[in-house]
Amino acid sequence: MFALEVEALKKVYPNFTLDGISFAVEAGQIAGLIGRNGAGKSTTLKSIMRLISSEGTVKVFGKDFSENEGAVKELIGYVGGGFRFYPNKTLSAIANAVAEFYPHWDKEAFTRYCDAYALVLTKKVRELSEGMKIKFSLALALSHGAKLLLLDEPTSGLDPLSREDFCDTLLSLKKQGVTVLFSTHITSDLMRVADQILYLSDGKLLADEPLETLTKRYRLKLFASLSEANAARAIGVKEVKDGFEGLITSSEGREATLDEIMIHLEWTRRQNESAH
Amino acid sequence: MKALIKKEFSLCLHPTVFLFLTFAALVFVPNYPYEVIFFFSGLSVFFLSLAARENGDLEFTCSLPVKKRDVPLARIMVAFTFQCALLAFTAVCIVIKQSAFPEAMLVNLAGNSANLAFCGFGALVLGAFNLTFFPLHYREPKKVGVPFAISMAVQFVLIGLLILIRHFPFAAPLASPDPENSGVKFTVLFAGLTLYCVMTVLAAWLSMKKFEKVDL
Repeated sequence: MFALEVEALKKVYPNFTLDGISFAVEAGQIAGLIGRNGAGKSTTLKSIMRLISSEGTVKVFGKDFSENEGAVKELIGYVGGGFRFYPNKTLSAIANAVAEFYPHWDKEAFTRYCDAYALVLTKKVRELSEGMKIKFSLALALSHGAKLLLLDEPTSGLDPLSREDFCDTLLSLKKQGVTVLFSTHITSDLMRVADQILYLSDGKLLADEPLETLTKRYRLKLFASLSEANAARAIGVKEVKDGFEGLITSSEGREATLDEIMIHLEWTRRQNESAH
Repeated sequence: MKALIKKEFSLCLHPTVFLFLTFAALVFVPNYPYEVIFFFSGLSVFFLSLAARENGDLEFTCSLPVKKRDVPLARIMVAFTFQCALLAFTAVCIVIKQSAFPEAMLVNLAGNSANLAFCGFGALVLGAFNLTFFPLHYREPKKVGVPFAISMAVQFVLIGLLILIRHFPFAAPLASPDPENSGVKFTVLFAGLTLYCVMTVLAAWLSMKKFEKVDL
C-alpha cells in the first residue's frame, strides 16, 4: 500500500516550474527528496500540504488530499524547516494549542520526546537554537500519531550528533510503520536511513528508485583525458585535480556516493541545457 | 473550528484587542465624534493580523489538520466576537450615560449623539471595515498595511457621511436622547446590524475563496 501518491504535481512560478512530477512512497518506507537549492524540494512538500496552490493530485493512504483535507492532515506530521513561528510564546503554550487539533494527541509521548531532545517547555521559541527548534517541530509532529512524516530539510540546522539522533529516531519510527518523506541536501543522512531516493533537478524528477539500485547503477571513474572519458561514455564528465571524473555504468572505477551521483547527473543536465 | 478559535485566543490575540474594547467609554466624552470608537476596533484587527504575519501564523495553522479555507473564517469569527462585544459595551455605556448625565449633555455637537441609532451606525462602520480589510488581506496575506489603509479610508468616508447626515432636517430625530423617537432609532439600529452581518458574511466568503489560492 502506498502512504503517499503524487500525480502530475505542477506549480508555475515566473522563474521556476515544478514540472508535473509523479511519484509514490510505500507505507513504512523512508524516502529522501534530494536536489540542489532551488530544485523544487520545498515547493513539492508545500504543494503536497496545499500550503501553495498547485495542479495535480495527492493521495495519502488512498485518501484524496483535496477532498479530505482535515482528515488527511491528521495523518501527517509536517516539519517545514526550523520552527520560526510565535517566537515570544512558550513551547508549552504552542504544544497546548496544537494538541487541540489532534484527537490522538499523546501527551506522554510529547513529554518523552521533549525529555529526549532536552527541550524545556517553559522556554520561549526565540530562546531556542536552530537545532532545538527543529527538535521541537519533530516532537510536535511525532506526538499526534502521524502515519506519514513530511520533513523539509529537517537536519540542516543540526550538529552531527543530533543528526545521528534524528536518523535513529527515523529508523525507530520506521519500525513502528511510520512513512517518512524528507528533503535534504545532506546525503550522508540518506545513505544511513533512506529506502527510496527522489532526485529533483530544476523542477523535474530525474530519479525515483530504491537507494541501493541508484548507488549500484553508477560507479565513479577517473580518466586521464576528456577523450578517454567520452570514449567510455562517462556521464557528467567534469574536470578535477588529477584529470576528468565521470559516472559509468560498468563495474570499473569505485563505488559512487549519493553526493557524487547527484553532482554528475546535475552536471549532465546543465551540459544538455547549454547544448540546446 | 473550535480548535482554530482556541488557537486564535491562545497564540494570536494582540493586547490591543482588549484595550480598544474599553474605548466604548469614549461616549462619556462630551461633544466628540463617537464613531471613531469603531475605527479603533479596526486598528486592533490590524495589530492582530500584523502580529499573526510576523509570527508566521498562517503557514503554521495551515499545516495543522484544518481546511485551508477555514483559517480566515476563524479569524473573522474572532473579530466578529470582539466587534459584537464592542457594540454591547458601547450600548451599556450609552445606557449609563443617558441615565446619569443631564439631558443637555446628551446631544453631541461634534457628531451623532450616543443613542440607539448610533449603535446601528457603529455596526455599519464595522461591517464596512470587515468587507474591505479581510478580503484584501487574505488575497495577499503578506500585506496588512495596504488593506488597512484602504479600509481606514472607507471607514473615515463613511464616518464623515454619517456625521453629515445629522445636519439634514430629516435626521433630526436621530440626535435626540433615548427613548424619544424610538421607532426610527430601532429601525436604524436594526438596519445597521443587518448590514453588518451581511457585510461580515460576505467578507468571510470572499476571504475564504481568495485564501485557498494563496501561496504560503
